[in-house]
Amino acid sequence: MTQRITIDPITRLEGHGRIEIFLDAAGNVANTYFQVPELRGFEQFCVGRHAEDMPVITNRICGVCPEAHHLASAKALDALFGVEPPPAARKIRELLYMAFFVTDHTTHFYALGGPDFIVGPDAPPAERNILGVIRKVGLDAGKAVIACRARNHHVIQLLGGRGIHPVAGVPGGWSTSVTEAQRAEIAAIARQNLDFALFSLRLFETIVLKNPVYRDLVTSDVYLHRTYSMGTVDAQNRVNFYDGTIRVVDPEGAEFANYHPRDYAEHIAERVEPWTYLKVPYLKKVGWKGYVDGADSGVYAATPLSRLNVSDAMPTPRAQEQFEAIHAAFGSARRGGRFVPIHHRLATHWARLIELLYAAERMIELAEDPEITSPEVRRIPEGVVGGGVGIGSVEAPRGTLTHHYVSDERGVLRQVNLIVGTTNNYAPMTMSIRRAAERLITAGRIVEEGLLNRIEMAFRLYDPCLSCATHALPGTMPLRVLIRDCGGAIVKELRR
Amino acid sequence: MSRTVVIGLGNPILGDDAVGLRVARALAAELSGVAGVVIKELHAGGLRVMDALAGFERAVIVDAMHTGALRPGSVRRLGLGQLGEARNLASTHDTNLPTALALGAMLGLPMPREVTVFGIEALERETFGETLSAAVQRAVPRAVRLIVRELRP
Repeated sequence: MTQRITIDPITRLEGHGRIEIFLDAAGNVANTYFQVPELRGFEQFCVGRHAEDMPVITNRICGVCPEAHHLASAKALDALFGVEPPPAARKIRELLYMAFFVTDHTTHFYALGGPDFIVGPDAPPAERNILGVIRKVGLDAGKAVIACRARNHHVIQLLGGRGIHPVAGVPGGWSTSVTEAQRAEIAAIARQNLDFALFSLRLFETIVLKNPVYRDLVTSDVYLHRTYSMGTVDAQNRVNFYDGTIRVVDPEGAEFANYHPRDYAEHIAERVEPWTYLKVPYLKKVGWKGYVDGADSGVYAATPLSRLNVSDAMPTPRAQEQFEAIHAAFGSARRGGRFVPIHHRLATHWARLIELLYAAERMIELAEDPEITSPEVRRIPEGVVGGGVGIGSVEAPRGTLTHHYVSDERGVLRQVNLIVGTTNNYAPMTMSIRRAAERLITAGRIVEEGLLNRIEMAFRLYDPCLSCATHALPGTMPLRVLIRDCGGAIVKELRR
Repeated sequence: MSRTVVIGLGNPILGDDAVGLRVARALAAELSGVAGVVIKELHAGGLRVMDALAGFERAVIVDAMHTGALRPGSVRRLGLGQLGEARNLASTHDTNLPTALALGAMLGLPMPREVTVFGIEALERETFGETLSAAVQRAVPRAVRLIVRELRP
């Protein structure tokens, strides 16, 4: 017998990330819910505005990934106004985006994901942070992390026109061109990024892969979920962050779909749940079967690991070596010309570092491309085309990001829909949290000590960005875990 | 030489979350011409704050807060120690202020010796909009007065 669950709408309004764990009569986990505070009113905020303001408006949604919103928005406007940016503009956009990926993945590994491994999953929370990482790996590494962030922020500022929120993306291209001096400076920075990415991968190898305890943790079935994977690929089915088609592979690795981003609504449906404001996306053509694994379940993930899973290869040589290495480590064989997907979710941390390496290599290619200094960076749009619909997408660090605008013939917005990176992973995050809870709560016995961090590790690997709602004091996302017995009474409350 | 930095923190299009930015803007007018004070607006916390604090001797940070226990528009002056009590959390993205400060110090960056936080209790911070709610709007001049007094030698 399980308790029927009703959640008071007033308690839903708290601005907390909240996890509810319901136990059955035997004291085992019956169900878990991960509730996320949702920001409201974004569409109303946008409707009636000029579409061309969107790259600057949407990059203010949050302070963590403004670059991703800025580019998805600029691409949606390219489509709305029917203007294809000149090659130099596409390359400048992608170059800025590679600098952003380098800083974002670096920050996640050293400040968020890495501490679980480098400091240890059972270390006290006060030590499990970037300070603990530096104590372990040395001051020079800490300085390298901060220098990496600083030099790439500088690139973003050079190319984007402003430090945190770029302003240069416009329909049909980019508002400034790149000088030869800037190009040379960025190329030098990109080469430093490559060294830093290789250093980070060596660190991961030494600290995680060569440690039998961590290796067991990463390769165990603690966070194993066999779901569909989603990511953007180029024409050769290789990873691309800026542009391409959306490829979905099934749990065995066979291609399930490969579509233009503008067709997302044919492939993705969003499910409304009574217990959270956030909608849960799933694969429409598979259908919703609940929070379960397998080829019959429409649950998919869109993470760094998913992007490797949908790709046949990496487009750059050093990243390709790592691509081979990660599959070898997980015993993933080649089938039909491509590797069988990896479903061990903790491998996402490794995949993120492989993406860091790819971003660094790609940044060098772009910065060394003579065309990037071409003065031709924009095609001027003449007006709204194609019925006033513009859809654009990029791979955000946290998953596929889609912007969808509908405007009238003057370009005044009538409808706005965004599917942000983290939202894609709502169902798998819920599943990973449940798995962690099931392992740590049996027959009413709650392993209190490790519970909070094991659950956090379950969602931290997805690098969820809920920060737009939560950067107000007291600081960052408060997390509450409520454990209720079969009568609905709270038996334990953990918070951080 | 600039010795003091005032940082307004918030999201400019997220209702009362923008109050720190509004206070910073009002302070910029109030303090224009005052030597040694730099005013910055920031839209993200954590390591970005560390970057913005480096090189100053003294810092004032203004941000929206949500204690749930105070009346909206309440202004509180918090020392770092008090923030420590309130922060019962590490971070899901990036890092928190005490860690950011400790990191800067660890890396040998010139971090401010004195950091004061002014928190303003928000009412509406989950709905997009460019206006502050009335109670929070009324807090802006109060916060400005308090900070000007704080900065006056």
